[in-house]
Amino acid sequence: MREPVPRDVVYQYDGSLEGFYCCLFESLRRGELPAALEDAADAQPRLFAPVWIETDPAHALRVQRSIGEKIAPRALHLTETVFLSCLEEKELHLLHFLLRGWREGAGFLRRGWSDPQLALLLKAERHLAHEAHLLTGFVRFSDYDGHLAATITPKNFVLPFLAPHFAARYRGEHFMIFDKTHRAALIHQPGGSRIVAAEHIEFPAVSAEEARYRALWKHFYDTVAIEGRENPRCRMTHMAKRYWENMTELQPEKAPLPMIESGAEPAIL
Amino acid sequence: MMEKLEYLVNGAKYDAACTSSGADRKAEPGGIGSAVSGGCCHSFAADGRCISLLKVLMTNACIYDCAYCVNRRSNDIPRVTFTPEELAELTIQFYRRNYIEGLFLSSGVLRSPDYTMERMIRVVELLRVQYRFQGYIHAKTIPGASPELVWQLGVLADRLSVNIEFPSEQSLRQLAPDKTRQAILAPMGQMHQWMQGNRQALEIQAPAHRLPAARRAAPRFATAGQATQMIIGATPESDYQILRLAQGLYHKYELKRVFYSAYIPVLEHSLLPALDTKPPLLREHRLYQADFLLRQYHFAAEELLAPEAPNFNPYLDPKCNWALLHPEFFPIDVQRAGKETLLRVPGIGSRSATRIVAERRSVKLDFAALKRMGVVLKRAQYFILAADHPRGLHLPGETVARALIDPKIFAFGMEQLSLFSPGGLGLPGAGDVKNLREATEEAVLVMGRSAYA
Ligand code: SF4
Repeated sequence: MREPVPRDVVYQYDGSLEGFYCCLFESLRRGELPAALEDAADAQPRLFAPVWIETDPAHALRVQRSIGEKIAPRALHLTETVFLSCLEEKELHLLHFLLRGWREGAGFLRRGWSDPQLALLLKAERHLAHEAHLLTGFVRFSDYDGHLAATITPKNFVLPFLAPHFAARYRGEHFMIFDKTHRAALIHQPGGSRIVAAEHIEFPAVSAEEARYRALWKHFYDTVAIEGRENPRCRMTHMAKRYWENMTELQPEKAPLPMIESGAEPAIL
Repeated sequence: MMEKLEYLVNGAKYDAACTSSGADRKAEPGGIGSAVSGGCCHSFAADGRCISLLKVLMTNACIYDCAYCVNRRSNDIPRVTFTPEELAELTIQFYRRNYIEGLFLSSGVLRSPDYTMERMIRVVELLRVQYRFQGYIHAKTIPGASPELVWQLGVLADRLSVNIEFPSEQSLRQLAPDKTRQAILAPMGQMHQWMQGNRQALEIQAPAHRLPAARRAAPRFATAGQATQMIIGATPESDYQILRLAQGLYHKYELKRVFYSAYIPVLEHSLLPALDTKPPLLREHRLYQADFLLRQYHFAAEELLAPEAPNFNPYLDPKCNWALLHPEFFPIDVQRAGKETLLRVPGIGSRSATRIVAERRSVKLDFAALKRMGVVLKRAQYFILAADHPRGLHLPGETVARALIDPKIFAFGMEQLSLFSPGGLGLPGAGDVKNLREATEEAVLVMGRSAYA
């Protein structure tokens, strides 16, 4: 492989994984190392026009295969996970990582965290996995007439990692998780789930029944804390403030919620 | 319903329980829910504790009269009870909204232990059979209930626990007159046998109709094991006694967890701390740290504490305290030492130890590499040999002691220090100093001189 030469060019692509692989393909074909790779959706104003890289599925597939076969399956896995992460300039970091992989082979992967370049990617991967793990707990669904729906605002694109967990847990339900940050939604029906692009989602009004369960949950949450043991700092380290906006129990009290008593309760005492 | 929930949550909230459980179950067709073995926190309460389960009492009525408990018979409070249907429905509705990972059910004793257990079984049975709920269920058995009922509850739930309540028999006798050590330990032993699959020991047939279809053929007992809890700070036992007891329970009954609950005075009683006594939170924290060292880091209780110095050092976590007292064990060569040895180094945790062992074959580890792997060099540096420090750092004991001081002590505050009796260590107590800064400075001098010389 010819070592690509650093050039002062910027590649622009459509933001997809395939598009990113095509940037790699072009970089190798032209023998040049771009100074930046950017998603057209968040393009910066620049003095010189960026080079537009067209997405060609055939090229993408060749690059993808080559990573798995010539470097290692783990390199492919790491690449595709970091690509979904919120690491700054992830495309450029991945480009350097993969060039090194093709040059040195799988061996350098074993250096793991002790290697500065790898540590950066492993950290991004872990950050994503950690956020996905937190969200398996923090996602809050509301019941709209038998359909469950939730909104999340994660930093990383975690929907593909949440999908298997919730699909197994609520396999018989209809549910949706809307990722407002990345404008996408995970949609599940008994039988299967998929992720679709979603600019904006309008939620219907909340039923009395739903309001009742929200109120009960909030009341549980407020009651279960032991008074005199308040520990805001500890709560914050475990559950960063940015998650609160989507969590039922952390919403400020609005208008008093309707409380419906369940009628005569069998008195056994 | 709202009020009921409030009473029954209030009665249960001092119990500790989490789901890092070992239960790992896939959803079944037509059912709802799954259990993940790593455990999962759904929220964190204002006191910083993880909320994972709907933790409630079935009832706060009780025929017993335990001195330390708000639900005791002689306490004048309103009594409420969930019907099994209400509680099952509430659990499912919370679970569907992903508020919770499952149910943690305990109860006051209604009419009799057996009657109470029957009702608890009914709740769990509704969940498992009618709703086909596959999520996590932890139930607390009632002391004195018959073994048949314990068995039935155990084949439906993931984890059972019996609270040991106090670290010594004498305290139990004084404060929980209706319970006996025997009534607590006997079911623990029995459950341990059942968990090992010893069906002969039970001579009980599980009533098949009560089990979900999938479990009828080969019912298994509490696959996520058993746990227990004890109250600390209400009675005079030392940390050494408590830790030895926990270690014994782990060995003898293979308990999955022992939980420690700092006593919060709720009632006036001549044998209990006064109502204005603060719960010993720092002490509870040290117990959890030491407990973790027993379970995950291959430490023995006798290494961490001794009859001559039976209480924890408030200024250091138990692992740092051990390291400071054992200079002969160090320095450790990170390039060669086994994982168990690495785990004993302050500043190296299980994640960084695993990384070191996995990666060191391909690279010579220096401080910079160790740092990237997650080693806390501020502490570890005095105890290790690395590629760029082949002879180790040799610094005065004071410097080392200062680096090891647990910064959390400042978050816990002076008040917590005053609840300690670090007898035998020669450390300053709350009465000897003006503030925490001064206390830690003094402690650094004492520890630096006596230990790591
Ligand atoms: S048995 Fe004792 S500890 Fe349990 S609820 Fe009754 S009084 Fe409280």
